[in-house]
This record gives sequence, C-alpha cells and structure tokens, in this order.
Amino acid sequence: MRILAFDTAAPTNTVGLVDDDRLLADYAWEARDNSLQRIVLNIDQVLKRGGVALEDIEGLAVGIGPGSWTGAKVGVTVAKTLAYAVNKPVCGVTSLEALAYQCRTASVQICPLVDAGKENVYGAFYRPRGKSLVRKGDFYVGDIKGLVAAVKEPTLFLGKPAHLYRRTLARELGPLASYGSPSDSPSGCVFAWIALPRFRKGDSDDALALAPLYLKESLAQALLLKRQQEDSGKPSQ
Amino acid sequence: MLILGIETSCDETAAALVDDSAVLSNIISSQIDLHASFGGVVPEVASRKHVEAIGYVIKEALDSAHKMLSDIDGIAVSARYGLIGSLIVGVSAAKSLAYALKVPLVGTHHIEGHIFAPILSHPEMPLPHVCLTVSGGHTMLVYVKGLCQYEVMGNTLDDAAGEAFDKIAKFLNIGFPGGPAIDRLSLRGKRTAFDLPRPMVKSRSLDFSFSGLKTCVVNMFRGKEQDTIPLPDVAASFQEAIVDVLVSKAIQAAERKGATAISVTGGVSSNRRLREAFQETCGKLGLEVFFPLPELRTDNAAMVAAAGAARLERGEASGLDLNAVPTAPLESTR
Ligand SMILES: [Zn+2]
Repeated sequence: MRILAFDTAAPTNTVGLVDDDRLLADYAWEARDNSLQRIVLNIDQVLKRGGVALEDIEGLAVGIGPGSWTGAKVGVTVAKTLAYAVNKPVCGVTSLEALAYQCRTASVQICPLVDAGKENVYGAFYRPRGKSLVRKGDFYVGDIKGLVAAVKEPTLFLGKPAHLYRRTLARELGPLASYGSPSDSPSGCVFAWIALPRFRKGDSDDALALAPLYLKESLAQALLLKRQQEDSGKPSQ
Repeated sequence: MLILGIETSCDETAAALVDDSAVLSNIISSQIDLHASFGGVVPEVASRKHVEAIGYVIKEALDSAHKMLSDIDGIAVSARYGLIGSLIVGVSAAKSLAYALKVPLVGTHHIEGHIFAPILSHPEMPLPHVCLTVSGGHTMLVYVKGLCQYEVMGNTLDDAAGEAFDKIAKFLNIGFPGGPAIDRLSLRGKRTAFDLPRPMVKSRSLDFSFSGLKTCVVNMFRGKEQDTIPLPDVAASFQEAIVDVLVSKAIQAAERKGATAISVTGGVSSNRRLREAFQETCGKLGLEVFFPLPELRTDNAAMVAAAGAARLERGEASGLDLNAVPTAPLESTR
C-alpha cells in the first residue's frame, strides 16, 4: 500500500513515501518559516524520486501537531485538500505518537514531549503493544512538574523538552526516568507507518473535517474574559 | 476560462467559481457570529476556523455550480495583505489543488480583489477609474490605470473607516459589526446634531485619519450612562463625518487624475448613507459611480477569481512556492 506522509508541525519538516514496510523516498528540512513555501514542492520531489504519481498513492498521512501552530495548519490544509482532490483517504497522526513510535520496542512506558511555550510541555503516555503503541489516558498540557506527578513507573522520556528538563526529571523521578536520543525527530515515513494499520482496516479520517490537534482550547475563552474586562470602561447599558 | 477563487485573508472563508464575468458560485462561510462574542476578529480563532471550513467551502463552490474539479482551468488565491495565520490556510489549499489538478496558480493581493468586485459587477465600467476601497481592515484610494495596473493615491494613517465604525459601536454598546449598527441607528438621527471634525478633509494629501474623530466622540460621552446618550444623533453625525471625508477625498482623486468614473468597494460600500452621498455628489459633478453587487461587497472569493483571471490572461501565474505575505504593497506583482 503506497502512502504519502508529511509533517510540518515539528521544527524539522518531513515528507515520506512508503509502500507497506518499504521506504520509497523521504526528505527532511529545517523549517524556519518556510513550511508553506516548501511543502508542495518537496512533496513533488519525493513522489518523483519514489517514482509514484500523486494519483497512484493509496493514502495520505499527516502530522496534526502538537507543535508549531502555523506549521500544523499548513500541513493539515495541504493534506485535506490533496486528499479531496485525488479522492484518497487521509489519516491524521499526532507528533507525540510519531516521537514514541521510534522507541516502540521499549520495555517501559514511553512519554514523548513537545514544547508548548511559556515553560509548558505537551505530553502523553504510550505503552508498546506488539508492533504498535497504545496511548494511556489523555494528552497532557502544562508544566513539567504536573507531568512528573503522574509518573509512577519506569518511563522513557523523548523529545527536546526531555533534555531541556532533564535535571528536573532526574531529581523528581531518579531511576524511574530514562531518556531517548536528543536527535529523535521522526522522519516522514514514521507518520505513514503509524497510519498504515488504520488504512489496512479501512479506517481513515474525514478529509474535509480534518483539523490540527487543539490541546489549548481555553485560549479563546481566556481572550473573551480579557475583552470583557477591557470593556468594563465603556458606557453601561 | 473557469477559475476557482479562494479567500481567507481575514474572518471569511470563501470560495467561488467564475467563468469570464459569470459568477457561477460564491460561497462565504462567515465567522461573524463567533467574532461578535469577542467584539472583533480574534486572529487565532479565525485561522482555526479557516482550516475547519476551507474544504467544505471549496466543495460547496463546485457542487452548487454543478462543476467538477476537472473542469477548473486555474486557481486564484488572496496571498497578500491580511492576517498571516488566515492567509496561509487559503494559500495552502490553493497550491495543493493547483498541484493536484495540474492547473495554473495565481496569488493576488486582497485589495486587488476588492478593486475587481465592481469591475466584475459592471463589465462596462470605464478604465482608467478611481477606486475607493473601504472596509474594517483598510481604507484606500487607488487609481486603476488599467487591469492590474495600480497607483495608490491615499491610504489610512491609523484606523480603517470600518474599524472606526466598529470601535464607536463598541464604545456605545450597540453591537458588532459596527457599520450596519450605526447605519440602522442613524436613520432616526440628525446628521447635523453634533459638529464633529472632518479629519484631513482640507489637506492636499489623499490619506485618511479617523482616530481623532473617534477620540472626539469618546471624549464627548465617556462615563455617561447609555440611556442619557442620544444614540441616533451620535450615530448619524459620526457617520456623516466619515462619509464626508470619504466622498470628498474620492472626488479630489478623480479630479486630480481627470477620471470620469469612481468605484466604491469593500464592506463599507454597503453603507446606505455613503452610497447616497456618492450618488448625489457624483451626479452633480457628472461623474459615474459604481458599486459592486451586494454579495461582492464584503470579502468574497469571486472578486479574487476575477483578479486572478486577469493576471493569468497577462501570463502572470505564480509558482508552487507561493508564500503568504501579510503586508505587501498593492503595486507589487507576484
Ligand atoms: Zn477585504
């Protein structure tokens, strides 16, 4: 099954093309603010190198974040539009699962972390089951201390924040915490391979409804509150 | 030539199919109710909604025109001028479609879209002409020398006219968007009730400035109970001041260029008093005045398709590396 996958939510943007377990072509670039400029051209390059026409892919997988908010919007919009245009199924894959997937043979639970800004992190706990991963509980967004409080068993921490907060993790968790390699940024093919079992089951996401993963839903509400406070200076009704 | 237009530069997610000057569909998913609860457009919320709506809006533009993706000859998108987080959604969708369908892509300037709305509505409109484009996001006077050839003659130095309407409506607690709310109230008020300043109306410059006018109204009524403010009179006087400035600057621009026609476009071109004043004044001076069809006044994608078609006819397609640029001069191409 030929799957085209890409992710523009992580600092390293990636495109990958696979045929079942076989990698046909992939490409990665350090995106500063050029995700929008490069993505379609780089998809074209990877398809050409893999010798597959866009019409001949059988599914699309895309990173839906969390990560760069702008990047996730670009990736998701490109994926949903391509899926609609060539009438192929699409699967959204979280950056957290993509990070965890690379260590799916671990014997302990895996906690991938993504920077959420303002000294917060996004995280989740995954358990290896066979060749795939099962998420335990909900996604986490908050400071590292709150995340640490939820850890009661040996855990493998992955992603940049795992290295940024390594001292805190080591202090609070001692021997329970272990760490992945600092350069553990997933390739485009990882997103394809995570989606593959879903496609094989005939499962996919609704292309037109596909959206980035929103873990900070409260932002709009917070803004509303702020505006109401600002408005208290105007004439009363 | 069947062109799909895509517009996501502010808070409307829009797609339209235009075949020469025939608008086959014009779909607009407005976020106005959502943003009304915030008293204005929240960029983060707007961009999120664009991602959710864009696919449905494009599909609806095709379905309601009874066209298929394979019928499309080119894709036009507002790529310049607007909220960056919003623009990127339209550009992402447009370049993906152009790539998948193997048709030309063209990125246009949002203001160029507004300039094309009256041209699309009245194909007989003379060129050159002077265009006043006025909305919540901009107030601009443009000399349209020919299709896709522009000279910006005046621009706002602070608030856009529509923004001034929104801010005063918000201050008076009469609702969002402010333009229609003030227009409705003003029907019951006296235009001469308050002697408000006409900012820059006497100056040689064709630039606009509305923040002083706004401050003047705010200072008059700050801290007063709403039921003690003569709202219809305030609305009518405030609206009249803005209309006066817009009309007189547009006429000055036309006279300076010897143009025989003026077009008035953008969301504020729906303002009843503005249209009336333009018709009166232009009538007296023997100038023709053109407004877009009602559905082409606020942000829409049919105007983008029309601008894109003109650019494609000139051989000005964009590459797949097309970027979204929030602030770009109108005169720059591609
Ligand atoms: Zn506009």
